[in-house]
Amino acid sequence: MSARGTAIRFEDVTLGYGRRPAVHHLQGTIRAGSLTAVVGPNGAGKSTLLKGVAGALRPLQGRIALSTGAGARLAYLPQAAELDRSFPLPVYDLVAMGLWSRTGLFGGVGRADKARIEEALAAVGLTGFERRPIGTLSGGQMQRALFARLLLQDAGVILLDEPFTAIDAKTTADLLDLVRRWHDEARTVVAVLHDLDVVKRIFPETLLIAREPVAWGETGEVLSAGNLLKARRLVEAHDPHADACAR
Amino acid sequence: MPWFRNVTTFLIGAALVAGTWAAPALAQDKLKVVASFSILADLARNVGGERVEVATLVGPGGDAHVFQPTPADARKLGEAKVVVVNGLKLEGWFGRLVKSSGAKAAIVEASRGVKALRSEESPGHDHGHDHGHGGLDPHAWQDVRNAKIYVANIRDAFVKADPAGQGTYEVNAKAYTEALDALDAEIRAAVARIPAERRKVITSHDAFRYFEAAYGLDFIAPQGVSTETEASAKAVGRIIQQIKREKVPAVFVETITDQRLIERIAKETGAKIGETVYSDALSGAEGPAGTYIDMMRHNIRAFSAALSS
Amino acid sequence: MYDLLVAPFAEFDFMRRALVGVVALALGGGPVGVFLMLRRMSLTGDAMAHAILPGAAVGYLVAGLSLPAMTFGGIAAGIVVALLSGLVARVTALKEDASLAAFYLLSLALGVTLVSLRGSNVDLLHVLFGTVLALDDPTLILLGSVATVTLFALALLYRPLVLECVDPVFLRSVSRAGAPTHLVFLSLVVLNLVGGFHALGTLLAVGLMMLPAAASRFWSADVTAMLVLSAAFGIASGFAGLLLSYHAELPSGPAVILVAGGLYLVSLVLGPESGLLRLALPGRHLEA
Repeated sequence: MSARGTAIRFEDVTLGYGRRPAVHHLQGTIRAGSLTAVVGPNGAGKSTLLKGVAGALRPLQGRIALSTGAGARLAYLPQAAELDRSFPLPVYDLVAMGLWSRTGLFGGVGRADKARIEEALAAVGLTGFERRPIGTLSGGQMQRALFARLLLQDAGVILLDEPFTAIDAKTTADLLDLVRRWHDEARTVVAVLHDLDVVKRIFPETLLIAREPVAWGETGEVLSAGNLLKARRLVEAHDPHADACAR
Repeated sequence: MPWFRNVTTFLIGAALVAGTWAAPALAQDKLKVVASFSILADLARNVGGERVEVATLVGPGGDAHVFQPTPADARKLGEAKVVVVNGLKLEGWFGRLVKSSGAKAAIVEASRGVKALRSEESPGHDHGHDHGHGGLDPHAWQDVRNAKIYVANIRDAFVKADPAGQGTYEVNAKAYTEALDALDAEIRAAVARIPAERRKVITSHDAFRYFEAAYGLDFIAPQGVSTETEASAKAVGRIIQQIKREKVPAVFVETITDQRLIERIAKETGAKIGETVYSDALSGAEGPAGTYIDMMRHNIRAFSAALSS
Repeated sequence: MYDLLVAPFAEFDFMRRALVGVVALALGGGPVGVFLMLRRMSLTGDAMAHAILPGAAVGYLVAGLSLPAMTFGGIAAGIVVALLSGLVARVTALKEDASLAAFYLLSLALGVTLVSLRGSNVDLLHVLFGTVLALDDPTLILLGSVATVTLFALALLYRPLVLECVDPVFLRSVSRAGAPTHLVFLSLVVLNLVGGFHALGTLLAVGLMMLPAAASRFWSADVTAMLVLSAAFGIASGFAGLLLSYHAELPSGPAVILVAGGLYLVSLVLGPESGLLRLALPGRHLEA
């Protein structure tokens, strides 16, 4: 998988619900192998953006192009997992779902695959949790399990929507190590984050968005005081008298 | 004054409408009769002849046990002068219908004066249909002699409602009663021709007890009187054992009830499955049991055919 | 003991057939019931009983009191209702339960209207629904086929079915099998229900689907174990219920359901997985 080239291209993309845009006129590319943070105030359209890239939401206007080829597989971790925690499923089975692209509907899980599952569990520190029902996991443990599943998906592009919200510090640190590992493996990672310290420490590139892109590029430059102020001036509430967008 | 004009217009309009309603009523000579189900309707037509117009609530092939009346039925009732019902609690739904239709007709219970048989066991209920028979078996018309009582009751009711037609009604009733006497004799003769030890029959619906009492055929049913009772395995087992033990030759299926149970019993015992018999309703006009007399004749022929061979 | 447990089946053909019938129904219906329960669709069975009426009505209008015609019509109507409500739930904001309620009520009204058009007030549903004591060969073949198709389809679609229940968003992101799986599952529900109605009546069909499934929940937290247990409970209920109907002279359908209900109550109280007794007296806590 080439570290050059584009992983995701936005061509004047507008994403929203009904006629209300959550993200307006986004234009640009995300380089393959890059580690990009998406930040912005509440209601800025960050989750919507990831949903659009993951294909869960169709753009109201414009196009999101994903690169094809070997590195094209995409893994998406949504914000509040719409997981049914009460379903009687053990952690092992949840994590094993990550192998879907390899096993498909009926494929068996061979010895090599079993080893990979154990490895993934170890990588997130959940060895020994195999038979625990997912309903008994704490927030941090659930997030680890979901990261293990992401590991197994072996995707070229990984989208994370607020992966560390309400997660304890140790888990956050461990999972950030995973993110760094993915970057080293030349996977493209895009993550929506609130903690700007983490962003400054770990993510070389940032997209600051407030319904429309405010700044995009190298983290230090993007997160300047001026830019942050501009973004904060975003009007969160819907304007009942908004006209059709002229652009 | 504008309001005066509006009131006048309204009154004229109302008078016109009332006139159109009244006119057909004045022009009507025929006595309007409503019968609760097809067998009673046939009897009523035979007594009334040209002087009556008979409407039926539960038509041919229908099931009076589980009938659900509609507003059209309430309307029919409202227009009638005489209403003929069976009584003996066959029409569990009738009381409600009368109330909702506001009928002012004379209601004649055709089975009045009939010596009623008790039903064997209280029927079970399903789906909340309220047709409980209060312990009496309502199928009195299966004995032709009871049909004569029905005819007499109907004749008396017609005469009371339409005194001018008394002559016609009495003549019709007398002629029809004679036909019924002939029918009764026919049935007895047919039964006499069946060898005594073969006079046993299984039906799915316990509707022939009056027939049994009058004509001497032994009817055995796996279920109670109503069509809603669900059989227990024990009851079915008992019937099968009885059929095998007493060598009952034939099993009969009716138009209304679940014929699969009967067929299963027949297959397991080797009994013959006879023709369809009619117990609670006439067939349509094209069918073999379009009138009461045809129905009784068809049934006895079906029984004879299956039992004699 | 022989007289109690075996004799009725040895002596009577209809008892043997009844046993085969309930076994087939339990094998197909139990596992389907488990998935219905896990997806919070437990009341679907009852709704479906009403939804099939217009199909049976059309069959009746076309072919008279022909059981094959009405059964086929009922299956078709049930599948249409199931598919439409499933699609609406997936595509719009309306959830599955409201969607199904809307369609089955519409379907029922349509059915009642169609029946009244013919004039005769034959209680169609009553004619359509049979009794377990009267299973002829075509019906047994129907029940057997339904059970086979169900087990085969569930084995095939086990993975996407589970995933669709647990994490439908994830499934949608890795595969397009979600929607077809759901629709096939709904069709299985209809097939089991209509086959069950035709042979055994509403109470028995829905009851044997949901009660053993509910009971199995109290014995295991593993889906596979629940599937096996629900089928086993269903078979046991059928066997014991038929014997009850025979020895105690109770109507057959309700007798089977009473036993199934009894098993459920016992499981509710004594079951190791959040059964009432276990909740009341959990025992000393473990070290770690």
